[in-house]
Amino acid sequence: MNIKKVSAGIQAWFEERLGLSAILDFMKEKEVPQNKHTIWSYTGSLILLFFGIQVVTGIMLAFFYKPTLELANKSIGRIMTEVPLGWIIRSVHFWSATFMIAIVFVHLLSIWIIKSYRRPRELTWMSGVFLLVLSLAFGFTGYLLPWDDLSLAATKVGTDIPRSIPWVGVLATKFLRGGDDISGDTLSRFFTFHVCILPLCILAVLCLHVYFIQKQGMSLPLGAEEKGEGRRALPFWPNFIWRETIVWLVFSGLLITVAVFLPPSLGKAADLMAPAPSGIKPEWYFLFLFQTLKIFPPKILFVNGDTIAVLVIFAGVLLFFLLPMIDDKPEERKGKIITLCAYLFMIYAVAMSIWSLLD
Amino acid sequence: MKLKESLFTRRQFLNGLMGGWLGALAVSFLYPVLKFLFPPTPEPEQVILPLADYRDIASNSVKQFAWGSKPGYIKKADDGTLVAFVAVCSHLDCTVSYLADQRKFFCACHDGWYDENGTNIKGPPPKPLRRLVLAIEGENLVVKREGKA
Repeated sequence: MNIKKVSAGIQAWFEERLGLSAILDFMKEKEVPQNKHTIWSYTGSLILLFFGIQVVTGIMLAFFYKPTLELANKSIGRIMTEVPLGWIIRSVHFWSATFMIAIVFVHLLSIWIIKSYRRPRELTWMSGVFLLVLSLAFGFTGYLLPWDDLSLAATKVGTDIPRSIPWVGVLATKFLRGGDDISGDTLSRFFTFHVCILPLCILAVLCLHVYFIQKQGMSLPLGAEEKGEGRRALPFWPNFIWRETIVWLVFSGLLITVAVFLPPSLGKAADLMAPAPSGIKPEWYFLFLFQTLKIFPPKILFVNGDTIAVLVIFAGVLLFFLLPMIDDKPEERKGKIITLCAYLFMIYAVAMSIWSLLD
Repeated sequence: MKLKESLFTRRQFLNGLMGGWLGALAVSFLYPVLKFLFPPTPEPEQVILPLADYRDIASNSVKQFAWGSKPGYIKKADDGTLVAFVAVCSHLDCTVSYLADQRKFFCACHDGWYDENGTNIKGPPPKPLRRLVLAIEGENLVVKREGKA
C-alpha cells in the first residue's frame, strides 16, 4: 500500500461526504475581468486580510484584557509593558483596524464611482453598507475598551448622539450605556458588543456578501456588457489568487512596519466625574462627523441643532444604503450626478477632517 | 341560536389557538429580557453633603460632588452664596469644567461655553446647565432637584 493510494482513498472518503470538489471546480471556472478598474478588485480581499488579523490579535488581547472599571486601563498597561510582545499585538490590532476601515472606504468609494452596484448587484451593495456600519461599530466599541479619559469622552458623546432621534433615541442611548450614564456596565456592554455580538453579526453578513459576489460574478465596467467587451479575463485560481497574495504581503509588511514604529498610546485611567479633557478627538474616521456636529448651531427654527444634524446623518446613511435603487439609470445624466456626489462626499469628508485636526 | 355554518374550520381554530399561544409566550419571554437590558438608574431625590467640606471653598470657584451617577458642581459666588449645577453639558453629555479666570463653564468636547450662571452663551449647547436647589440644614448641605425644594 503506497502513500499515494492512501491519500487518494482519504480524499475520496471526504469527497463522498462533503462534495468539496464542486467548490474547487467553481474556483477554477471563476474569472476576474481584466480592465482599467481591476485594481479595485484587490480591495475586498485586502479588507478580509485585515479582518482576519483583527480576529487573531483580538482573541490574543482578550486573553489578558479585563473589562472592569478598576482593571481595564491597568490590564492594557500590563499588555503594553509586561506581557511578552503584548505591545506589538495591541499595536497590530490598532493599526489593522485603521487599515481595514481605510480600505473599506476605498472599496466602497470605488464601487460607487464605477457603479458596480447596478443591477443585479443591489443586494451585494446593501450587505456591504451593513458591513460598513458593523466595521464602524467595531471601531467605536473598541475605542472605549482602554478606558482612558479620551475614550470615555468620545463614548459619552457617541452614545448620546442617538438621544436626539425622536421616539426611540432615549431608549437607544440607555441600551448602549446600560443606564442613563456611562458606568462600569457600559464597559461590560461595549466589551460584549466588541467581542461577541458584532463578530457574530459581521460573520453572518460577510458570508452573505461573499455569496452574492460569487453568485453574480465580478461586474464589468459600465457599458461593457452591452458592447460584448470585457472578454479579457484572468482565471481566479491560480492567477488572481497569486496576485492577491503579493498585495497581501506588501500590506502585511506595511502594517507591521507602522505597528512597530507607531504603537498606540494609553492615557491615564478614565475618571467618570472628571471634566472632559481638552482637545478630544474621535478616531480619524469619525472626524468629519465630529466636525459636522461641532458646526451645527444650537437651534435651527426652535429645533435642537444636533437633532437636525443627527437626522441629516441618518438620512444620508439611508440614501447611501438605497444608492443602487436611486441610481437606476447609471449611464444617463442622473448617474453622472450620482458619481459626482461620490467625489463631493470625498472632498467634504477630507476637508472636514482636516479642519477638525487643525482646530 | 345555532349557526348553519361554523365561522372557522377546525384547522383555522387550532392554528389561531397555537399561534396566539406562541405569540403570548414570545411576549412573556421578551418582557423580562427587555427589563434586563434596560436597568433603571433613578436620579437621587436628594444628596446630603457635609457642609464643612464646602463652606470654605474660595469664591468664584467650584467643588465637585456626585449627583447620583452624574458629576455636579457646588459653586461659590462672589457674595459667598452657594449654587449647585449638574456638571453635564446640555449638548452631548460631556462633563464641563469651570474656568475661574474667564468666569465661564467650558465643555471641551465640542467647544461649548456657559457663563458663570450656567447660561449657554457660545457653541453648540442648546440649553443652560441644569441647576439644583441647595439648602443648609444644620451641619449638612442638602442638594435637591429643582422644584423639589
